[in-house]
Amino acid sequence: MFGYITPYKEELKIREYSLFKAYYCSLCKTLGKEFNQIVRMGLNYDFAFLALLLSSIDRDRDAINMEGCIINPVKKKPVVKCNRNIVYSAYMSMLLIYYKLLDDWKDHHSFIALSAMLPYLASMKKAKKVYYDKYMDISNHLKSLSILEKNQCSVIDESADAFAKLMQSLFTAPYINDEKTIRILGWMGYNLGRWIYIIDAFNDIEKDIKQKNYNPILLQYQYSHGEEWTAFIDRIKEPVERSLTFTLDNVSKSFELLDVKYNRTVLENIIYMGLRRKMDQIFVRKGCNSNEKSI
Amino acid sequence: MKNPYEVLGIREGASEEEIKRAYRDLARKYHPDQYANNPLSDLAQEKMKEINEAYDFLMKNKGSGYQQTNSGGNQSSYTGRSYGNNQYMHIRHLIEMGNVAEAERLLESITTRDAEWYFLKGAVYIRRGWYDQAYRYIQRAVEMNPGNAEYRAALNNISFRNTAYRNVGRGMGYGTGASPCDICTSLICADCCCECMGGDLISCC
Repeated sequence: MFGYITPYKEELKIREYSLFKAYYCSLCKTLGKEFNQIVRMGLNYDFAFLALLLSSIDRDRDAINMEGCIINPVKKKPVVKCNRNIVYSAYMSMLLIYYKLLDDWKDHHSFIALSAMLPYLASMKKAKKVYYDKYMDISNHLKSLSILEKNQCSVIDESADAFAKLMQSLFTAPYINDEKTIRILGWMGYNLGRWIYIIDAFNDIEKDIKQKNYNPILLQYQYSHGEEWTAFIDRIKEPVERSLTFTLDNVSKSFELLDVKYNRTVLENIIYMGLRRKMDQIFVRKGCNSNEKSI
Repeated sequence: MKNPYEVLGIREGASEEEIKRAYRDLARKYHPDQYANNPLSDLAQEKMKEINEAYDFLMKNKGSGYQQTNSGGNQSSYTGRSYGNNQYMHIRHLIEMGNVAEAERLLESITTRDAEWYFLKGAVYIRRGWYDQAYRYIQRAVEMNPGNAEYRAALNNISFRNTAYRNVGRGMGYGTGASPCDICTSLICADCCCECMGGDLISCC
């Protein structure tokens, strides 16, 4: 369910590209500092976006230092100086990765997932203490999500609602006091969460047919056994794409109301082009998903 | 009042032409139609007001006379219209005020479900972020009463906003770069053209 929020590199300036990477690196280092080295490996771009977004509406511009890294200690790279937004994003990403592993364990009894969870146990205890409300929010929304799945919910909007509410909670960092900003971030998070949930379900259609997994798209559009998955996708493509694009429109409408102080062009790049590119790629499903690997 | 130049996102001392262009772009961005049934529509209205004030102030102080700016457009406002059914009017008001839960509760208590019912249910769904359901309900309203311009406008608003979102990306350069495939195709094409004209671009073919 992760890694859908990335920039559209073709239209990024080198400076902007380094800036995005500097947030990513800082988040990664913070994960190592707050928790441990193994937790660090689960990092993905979605949370770099959260750190970047929250930092961009905070009071002060972030300083960037040149630092070495555990992977390449000699070569120094630009890293944003750690701030409260990066620490918060680090905690939230750790919580979500843990729950994802827990989910994999419950669903498939995957021992890889179970053993991967071990390094998280101490970190989870710490997170529960530091961000108790968010910890409870996440676990409650994931609980409703698994109930919806268990009951074979056949309304896409309803299934997406649980994950959307989870993201709504993540985006409203507890130290933000301004009522308007909370509303805007919340609606932006809701729509991003909704978008991620539905695009992920769409992306998994083929796999879910084969493995007979729960997928609200298959249920809402009454996939019948024996139907070619490509034929099914052709049948449902238009309404799903319309609803996803409208969701992105709502993300952008929220963003335009935020009082963004820094990094506007990078954020615009992600919201208007990066997300859309991800969606277009998944919809076109061409054989070549080349130049999108890692930054 | 905030610095009007800052509000319009232009440098101080910008020309009248620049002010007008900035104003036009922002007015389009925060137009009420772009925020129809969005739970943040009140914030967009505030922003619009700020933009109008900044523009008015700058125009006034340019010495070019006071210009009344009309940006309201055809806001899809629910209030102030006459509808036969009192209950529906009340529900429209609730949606307008953002009290979606109460609006939905009242809608559920209505048993005769006409076009207006489906339309309002659709509006509730947009507010909640359930866009797929919203589209279905509004579409149903249009099917039941194809003559109603408001229902059709609400349905069109969804496609209109999807296009608007895509246009912003295109304006920023989305999809304009040539992919490796395009480059190859153009080269082969250029080679063919050259050969037709008697020259050669790629010598091996």
